[in-house]
Amino acid sequence: MFQRFRENRGLQGFLLILPTLIVMIALLVIPLIMTVITSFGQRNADGGVIYTFTLENYWRLAGFTPEGWDDLYLRILLRSLWLALQTTIIVILMAFPLAYFIARAPERRRNFYLFLVLIPLWTNFVIRIYAWVMILRGQGVLNSTLGMFAGMLNLPFQPFDFYPSQGAVLIGMVYEFLPFMILPIYTSLEKIEPNLYEAAADLYANPVRTFFRVTVPLSMPGVVAGTILTFVPVIGTFVVSDILGGRQVILVGNLVQNQFLSARNPPFGSAASIILLLFTLALTLYYTRRFGLGEEIAAG
Amino acid sequence: MISRRLWVIVSSLLIAALVLAACGGGGGDAAQPAEQAADSASACPEPNPRMEVTSTELNLFVWTEYIPQDTIDCFEEVYGIRVNKDEYSSNEEMYAKLSAGAANYDLVQPTDYIVDLMIRQGLLQELDKGKLPILDSLDPNYLNLPFDPENKYTLPYQAGTDSIVVNTAAVETAPQSFADLWNPEYAGRLVMLDDSRAIIGMTLLTLGYDVNTTDPAQLEEAKVKLAELAKGVKLFDSDSPKTALIAGDVDLGVVWTGEAVVAQRQVPTVDFVYPTEGSILWQDNYAIPTGAPHADAAYAWLNYSLQGDLFWQMLEEFPYTNPNTAALEFAKTNHPELYDAYMNSTITNTPADALQAGHRIEDVGEATPLYDQVWTEIKGG
Repeated sequence: MFQRFRENRGLQGFLLILPTLIVMIALLVIPLIMTVITSFGQRNADGGVIYTFTLENYWRLAGFTPEGWDDLYLRILLRSLWLALQTTIIVILMAFPLAYFIARAPERRRNFYLFLVLIPLWTNFVIRIYAWVMILRGQGVLNSTLGMFAGMLNLPFQPFDFYPSQGAVLIGMVYEFLPFMILPIYTSLEKIEPNLYEAAADLYANPVRTFFRVTVPLSMPGVVAGTILTFVPVIGTFVVSDILGGRQVILVGNLVQNQFLSARNPPFGSAASIILLLFTLALTLYYTRRFGLGEEIAAG
Repeated sequence: MISRRLWVIVSSLLIAALVLAACGGGGGDAAQPAEQAADSASACPEPNPRMEVTSTELNLFVWTEYIPQDTIDCFEEVYGIRVNKDEYSSNEEMYAKLSAGAANYDLVQPTDYIVDLMIRQGLLQELDKGKLPILDSLDPNYLNLPFDPENKYTLPYQAGTDSIVVNTAAVETAPQSFADLWNPEYAGRLVMLDDSRAIIGMTLLTLGYDVNTTDPAQLEEAKVKLAELAKGVKLFDSDSPKTALIAGDVDLGVVWTGEAVVAQRQVPTVDFVYPTEGSILWQDNYAIPTGAPHADAAYAWLNYSLQGDLFWQMLEEFPYTNPNTAALEFAKTNHPELYDAYMNSTITNTPADALQAGHRIEDVGEATPLYDQVWTEIKGG
């Protein structure tokens, strides 16, 4: 029997993926099915779920109210998307030079630099965002430093209102997701064969031309992978906005959370999360069709 | 080459795991320092009476920053029972966990309006008053309230109000009513609890409506009015609004009793104003969830932790309005400075007329999503 098991490659493979399969089914597939079912239900007076089949929750999300059309939820979704787009673009612009620097550093230094990129991630995400409050607040590190310099130059100084603000939210988001862009871009850049640069030079390409014709195209898989790793989580992240933005606005993540907590309306919350999921899926699909999956995700 | 790529992959996975763990949030709490327990061991008062307990564990599910560590250490010391503490920062969070079937908690601390909802849902068990001699230590003014008319399910823990806090050093004319908060002079300097019921409730009061209205037209009116104020709110914060107040990020707003007391200790010019419309009153309570696995330990905890010679510490650590007569008596003789500070402060010792004029939030059932809708529209901009 053991002999047969040793020859049965299919069974071996199945047993190897079994733990993952169980986890995925128990923690992803089943909850997702439950969410879909709940999203067609109704809320009872105490916030329980009445399981029926109604599209009411989806209609409400689309903006159809008894009083006419209202784009409230669309605006919330767009605000989240806009924040995600801004974050991703800034992160790409900041991550690329750093990844390039690391990839071009002497080989024995590279791991050290990567290590430095990763160190902040050893501290809890939420704590690091609170640290930004300390830096940005009216009497915070940044304002006192600026005030000190202004004092030395005898300039009048009025502390800046950095916190809480939407700008602070953007800073926090960029800070949080930067490493997720640096690593994949670095991996792409590091794989480029030095021969290609020599070939480009042999063909009289100047450094600028080499950069745009060789380096940038070959780093695209990393940029694509990094974009997926950044854009998708940013859409749903609301902790940064809550802490640095003073909870002045609602993002789509807050919307979902509030339905399960203060509104006690799980059906509507489920519908909102399903829509968010489908929307993200559609965006990702379009993006990967257009630009490829990003080798770095496929490889790692 | 290959090994380096592998290294990058492994570290990316590590980050992903860390971030996911961070998103998952709290969970367990920090282990208490053992030496501290030993320190205070000699000072632990004797339980009176000592209860018969067979359980060796007690699982508390309580508000963040609401139980002195000393009390937990002493209970562990005196009864030899291990105390596990999970925390929440909103009633809704606690309710969601319990109604989703979290079954291992022995004690929870629901606020008034969520109590009747929990009773209706069968989430709380009736208390056996024969096992609660501590009831005699509690001020009758905090018993038999509408959310649990005969205290069948709950015991009062602490109480307070949502009123106006103002740093008089920074604000020229302090507001006297909730309606005054709309003064354009205050725009950009306000902190508000991130609590839809409290803040919409306050707005309803300025319009002369009931804090528990279910009339969509009145809520619509409140929405329009609140949207105006919201533009000038710098910070919505239910975790620690005092922090921004102390740091000078904001100068006034609407917060809870205890936040105002702590802010005042740091910044003496902080004042607490009971608005002319009447404050929003609330009361936190202890209750035992249905099916609590260590109910005997829960009764022992209630009797011991609420004893006057232990509960007086609340005056120092978590200074809200204290419904525990025994604790106040104990403080009067043993810690007169704390007692005097408590009695002389209009923040903790809520004046009778403010209590008289106060309003209580109740569960609004069918209308709950209406309140959320208003909140969403205000913040959805």
